[in-house]
Amino acid sequence: MTQAGTILLQNQKSGLHNKVMTNDNNHQQLAAWLADVANNRDKAAFTGLFRFFAPKIQRIAHQQFSNESQASEVVQETMSNVWRKAHLYSPEKGAPTTWVYTIMRNVSFDMLRKMKSRKEDNFSEDIWPLVEADNVETEVYPDHLQQNQILAYLDKLPENQKQVVKGFYFLEMSQEQLARHLNLPLGTVKSRLRLALGKLKQQLTEQDMGERDD
Amino acid sequence: MIKHHPETKLLQSFSAGELPVSLSAAISIHVEMCPVCQQRCEEFTEQKAEQYFESAHVDDLAEPIQIDSNLLAMIDNITDDPTQAHVVEPTLNSVAVKGDEYQLPRALRSMSVGRFAGIGKVSRARIDLDEGEIHTSLLQIQPGGMIPEHTHKGFELTLLLDGEFSDDMGTYYPGDFIWLDGRHQHNPKTEQGCLCLTVVSDALHFTQGFGKLLNPFGSLLY
Ligand SMILES: [Zn+2]
Repeated sequence: MTQAGTILLQNQKSGLHNKVMTNDNNHQQLAAWLADVANNRDKAAFTGLFRFFAPKIQRIAHQQFSNESQASEVVQETMSNVWRKAHLYSPEKGAPTTWVYTIMRNVSFDMLRKMKSRKEDNFSEDIWPLVEADNVETEVYPDHLQQNQILAYLDKLPENQKQVVKGFYFLEMSQEQLARHLNLPLGTVKSRLRLALGKLKQQLTEQDMGERDD
Repeated sequence: MIKHHPETKLLQSFSAGELPVSLSAAISIHVEMCPVCQQRCEEFTEQKAEQYFESAHVDDLAEPIQIDSNLLAMIDNITDDPTQAHVVEPTLNSVAVKGDEYQLPRALRSMSVGRFAGIGKVSRARIDLDEGEIHTSLLQIQPGGMIPEHTHKGFELTLLLDGEFSDDMGTYYPGDFIWLDGRHQHNPKTEQGCLCLTVVSDALHFTQGFGKLLNPFGSLLY
């Protein structure tokens, strides 16, 4: 059994002794777990959050998408955002359940958008920003317009190259992480990345800005 | 002073993430400028979160729950990556039309805006969102300009971003959210010039194809 599995079962057992937890207690416990994830990258705390949220998200998403694998994707995306963004949560701004709900809503919104249109765009965080402007760092991408253009061209790449470029540039994963994540040899990841970048570069030089209109 | 707000049902659907991107962006812009609607959206969001995560029939921390092996594997998968999300301050885009430059609101910053084109004092640039019969545009009217009287088969949303304009119902200011449907006619004109975001649909084609996307608030539109 994995480490997470063991923790999971322990949590379930101890949970039985506390049948009458109120929402307030829930909030305190959930907020404490979020803080542990944020400050200590604590896997046990994350497992607690996961136990509380994942089955509920799965059920809600299943109702919304009527599809098991899409529902799992919503769980995966939402919970991995919780893991990676826990440091952005602050109890003064609201209940932890509300915060996780907004993450789930944003994930579903972007997924629904992808199903309805042919676009690979994520607008949810511009529409519902998760953090206020005063506690974020300054922009790292020097040229946002160019980044948008790259996103548009990215769409035209073959799926396997797209995956690698997105992981590398937009999720800021290392090539090693990507290889592990995609279950591919490191060499394959490197060569796909090289191929894809070559194509993107070519398209960026060919482009004529402001060309498109209707 | 903002006087025109999205109605309750729209704010609820917006908070639940049920509206198309075009309308969601428009409401987001309004909400950012309007503390009243901001407060209401926060409440709707909280209610939704409670309904999903805290209602009585939903498992709480105390109940043993079934987690299948896929979900279990997901924990390992997610926590495998030790990095934290690096959140950056959004860069805003701006557009220039006839010598005026406007900074676009955050909700529009990643959208691709076409070139401005138009006749006389009215210029329009399409925002390409690929939403079928729903068309989203930026509309700039030069001082003294007006739009000829028109009616709508579907709905027309006008969100005033900059400047002012008036019609026979009054004067509008930045942030005003003006929702019209087929029953209205209007004839807006501007003295100082203005920039608007418009989202227009044509109800004739509305029930086909895109109807599904709009289901959550379909009844609102007919
Ligand atoms: Zn308002």
